[in-house]
Amino acid sequence: MSSETTAGPAESAGLPAERLHVAGLAAPSDAVLSVRDLHVRFTSENGMVHAVRGVDFDLMAGKTLGIVGESGSGKSVTSLAIMGLLPAAAEVSGSVRLNGRELLGLSDKAMCGYRGNELAMVFQDPLSSLTPVYTVGTQIIEALTIHNPGMSRQAKEARAVELLAMVGIPSPKDRLRAFPHEFSGGMRQRVMIAIAIANNPRVLIADEPTTALDVTIQAQVLEVLHTAQEETGAAVVMITHDLGVVAGMADDIMVMYAGRPVETGGVDDIYYNPRMPYTMGLLGAVPRVDVAEKTSLVPIEGMPPNLLHQPTGCSFAPRCPLASDPCRAGEPPLSAVPGSARHRAACIKSESLGADVDAQDVFAAPPVPVSRFDAMPREERSAVLELKDIRKHFPLTKGALLKRRIGTVKAVDGISFDIREGECFSIVGESGSGKTTTLLEIMEFHKDQDGEVVIGGLSNKQAADARTKSAMRRELQMVFQDPTGALDPRFTVYEVLAEPLQNAGMDRQAIKKRIMELMRLVGLQPDHVNRFPNQFSGGQRQRIGIARALAVNPKLVVLDEPVSALDVSVQAGVINLLDRLRAELGLSYLLVAHDLSVVRHISNRVAVMYLGKIVEIGEVDRVFGNPRHPYTRALLSAIPVPDPQVERTRERIILKGDLPSPLDAPKGCNFATRCPVFAALPPAKQEKCLSLEPPLEPVTPSEAARTLEAAPGPSPDQRFACFFPDGQLDEDMLVVHDTADHHAP
Amino acid sequence: MTNLNAVDPAAAAQDAHLEGADVVIGKSTIIFRRFMRNKTAVAGLAIFLALTLFSFVGGYFTPWDKETIDPFNIGMPPSAEHYLGTSQAGIDLYAMTVEGTRISILIGLVVGLVSVLIAAVYGCTMAYFGGKVDKLMLFVLEALIMMPALLVVAVATSGGGAGLKQDLPSWLLLIIVLLVFSWMGTARLIRSLSMSLMQRDFVKAAQYMGVPPRRIIWRHLVPNIGSLLVLDITRGVTAAILAEVAFSFIGIGIKLPDVSLGVLIGGATSQVQTFPWMFWVPLTVMFLLTGSLAMMNDGLRDAFDPSSSSSGKARKKRARNNGTDQSLVQKKAS
Repeated sequence: MSSETTAGPAESAGLPAERLHVAGLAAPSDAVLSVRDLHVRFTSENGMVHAVRGVDFDLMAGKTLGIVGESGSGKSVTSLAIMGLLPAAAEVSGSVRLNGRELLGLSDKAMCGYRGNELAMVFQDPLSSLTPVYTVGTQIIEALTIHNPGMSRQAKEARAVELLAMVGIPSPKDRLRAFPHEFSGGMRQRVMIAIAIANNPRVLIADEPTTALDVTIQAQVLEVLHTAQEETGAAVVMITHDLGVVAGMADDIMVMYAGRPVETGGVDDIYYNPRMPYTMGLLGAVPRVDVAEKTSLVPIEGMPPNLLHQPTGCSFAPRCPLASDPCRAGEPPLSAVPGSARHRAACIKSESLGADVDAQDVFAAPPVPVSRFDAMPREERSAVLELKDIRKHFPLTKGALLKRRIGTVKAVDGISFDIREGECFSIVGESGSGKTTTLLEIMEFHKDQDGEVVIGGLSNKQAADARTKSAMRRELQMVFQDPTGALDPRFTVYEVLAEPLQNAGMDRQAIKKRIMELMRLVGLQPDHVNRFPNQFSGGQRQRIGIARALAVNPKLVVLDEPVSALDVSVQAGVINLLDRLRAELGLSYLLVAHDLSVVRHISNRVAVMYLGKIVEIGEVDRVFGNPRHPYTRALLSAIPVPDPQVERTRERIILKGDLPSPLDAPKGCNFATRCPVFAALPPAKQEKCLSLEPPLEPVTPSEAARTLEAAPGPSPDQRFACFFPDGQLDEDMLVVHDTADHHAP
Repeated sequence: MTNLNAVDPAAAAQDAHLEGADVVIGKSTIIFRRFMRNKTAVAGLAIFLALTLFSFVGGYFTPWDKETIDPFNIGMPPSAEHYLGTSQAGIDLYAMTVEGTRISILIGLVVGLVSVLIAAVYGCTMAYFGGKVDKLMLFVLEALIMMPALLVVAVATSGGGAGLKQDLPSWLLLIIVLLVFSWMGTARLIRSLSMSLMQRDFVKAAQYMGVPPRRIIWRHLVPNIGSLLVLDITRGVTAAILAEVAFSFIGIGIKLPDVSLGVLIGGATSQVQTFPWMFWVPLTVMFLLTGSLAMMNDGLRDAFDPSSSSSGKARKKRARNNGTDQSLVQKKAS
């Protein structure tokens, strides 16, 4: 980088042409947006942070560029720099050209002419990007008014209705007068997209547009983005950390690391033929929902470099298993990969890497751990947790002084399952399906609960006094979602780990010994015990959280979204650790996660919840491999897979609407309002769905399956709650992206 | 991660970096440094400490005390014998000021510290238990806020508190009354802060580990609102001193023969023209006292606030260094 910045003015005159040649993407005249040598520096408490170090790309109309990287890799800063939205303290240099006009260096006022007009952006958090005090209509019309002062009121309103209809909001005319809080998260993100495309932008930047949303809603929003792009013909920059999300959408991919692009190229080049170890690691670190075979994930050790310091070698070298001395001798430039026109990688070893090199070997993924319980049939293991008909209903009241009960929210409505020793049981479902409430009910362990919780033979119905409770606490521990919030910032690691042990009444010496053991167990340095949590990285903090949970030797660990707050590469390390601990210590897990790929990777059994009820439960490979309930099928089809081929040809079920409010839950089958099978059923059968509640019944193997399985063994471990599992799917809800459709003008 | 038990080299490198860059500084050290960087606050602290010292040892520099009447010097201006002059009754003003400052500081410190302590425990308890406990305690709190403090003070220190007055010196009585009426605002603030802390996972984690409520409040809640407590103590001390002065000024606080700054100021208001020193000396001391506390408070707030600009200096210096580093690198490269 230093050589680039020191290039004198005489040299830089000749640079653009040369760069284009190297970029090999297109001539400048075709590109809607072309970014050259973009640098962004921030001043911070500790010195100058060089957040973006030389980003180049060209974007054609109607094409999609995916920028992929971990947090802190500079992808969001890049997008903000293009939009001119960085704070004044940031130093931005380089060139950003929109249709040949330079944007960098323009005043804020001049930029306003482009922002929302030719350049538009969709932000990550739909909850905070709309102003709560204005109606949605006002906010869309505002975007129109600013750039079209001459437009009449009627025309603007008509356009707003048109836009809302385009992003798939039902009865758009009435919804125009609704306030943001009347919309769900997915709907708000649609409104954001509507505002962004209001003035037919040439470039649409989407910064993690679906990260805050549920999978089914994510599928909807991605679909809307796709439509929006087709309608406006805009070029899209899609920024994400999820390799699955961009696989089906993007034409080109840019992988960023430590503020620099380390690999760029077409989608297929990057996914099937990665030439940079970091890309390989990223791809190997993501568990896949469509793969049943169990392999360990590829962990990338260490942390991204500190951008305060000028890297002296390849910035990935400290974490790269292939790093050698030449790697540390200078930062490798982004150079073309032989055999492909657009594919470029910043690695001196890129030629020896390729499709035939396996990331598993490169990163030395650990062997798959085997638990002593794995060989034992499930029926012979003892149960560590049993739930019998757990219910949690919240009364909904109205009125300030005299509270009238106007309804009941059935957060959890009659759930039963059991977890055996050495088993990982997962609960999946959208937010609002009652997963977390189920966990809280288990952790509560109170006598007055509706339903029975049995933990390690201790029932909440029998003596739930202090002694039983503390005995139960020793059997059951919890790991939280957010590793930062779960550790008291004023405690050292020693104090954090000592707390449960002191509580169990251990003496000082024993506590000290146990803490050293625990630190080693979770792969942390034992002499780090005197540090505060904020001196660790996210992955290390989660390891401390796991160590705390394991301190009292519990039989069952409850994991509440244990990896969702972590970066992909770190996530793999934590998942591998959990897998290993389960095998070594014979632990059982109760995992709650919204990421079905993680669930498939780690669990043995899974329950799918919808509106407080289990709709399908069973062995993970059976449920994911052969889902029977339409909701499970929809969930699975909504998950993006990091494989462009699969993504493009896959049939997706896009569910209509959001999770209904538990207040007006349907009488019969909860899922009927969104069910793709229900929509296609004849009215006579629909009646049955609406009036009767389907019970959870075991799968009856079909004739063919029965003849295939020679011996009539025990019935498969899979139960589901649906009357018509084999019904036709409603065609309106099926979406297939073939390649031709994808590149529509 | 072939072997999880082994310590990975990247983490080790990270350690070296951490230690090298002095990142492992205790939080108290950081706060102390930031406080010391604020010159005004340090000056405030110095003035406050000097005044405290003066109030304890100042009495040794004069043969007079607050009760002895000098019949030869009645209402005299400052002189060599009476450093600050004497009152209408012939009592040495210097001796009275020393005594008054001590009483004022005593009242301020005791009320400031104890009321914040009560507020912390009360507020945290409310937040921790919630529900009915919270409602009941909040009712008590609101009732106290609505009680006319002025009247109660007047009654307690004058007529109604006759029985009490015989057993207790008037300053102790005032401390008690001030304590009863000074903690509610802080308690409410602490309640709302702790309620947000209660939502944090580390409190839940402690609950799920079976840690008893008393320990959770004391070990997790109180330390995490510590910075607020320190700020509230200095603020509370100022408020208590001012309340004492105000009450004594209108004649319902400290009663003679006890003296305080308020009593001195109150007694001298009618004679500003004839005996100006009787008015200005205690007033100046009071300003110094409350002013120094206000200066300290400002510095403390900056020191505790992570987003404050009090690290600006260090940043600018480093940034400049970095800049030179970069230009060096660039020179080398070219």
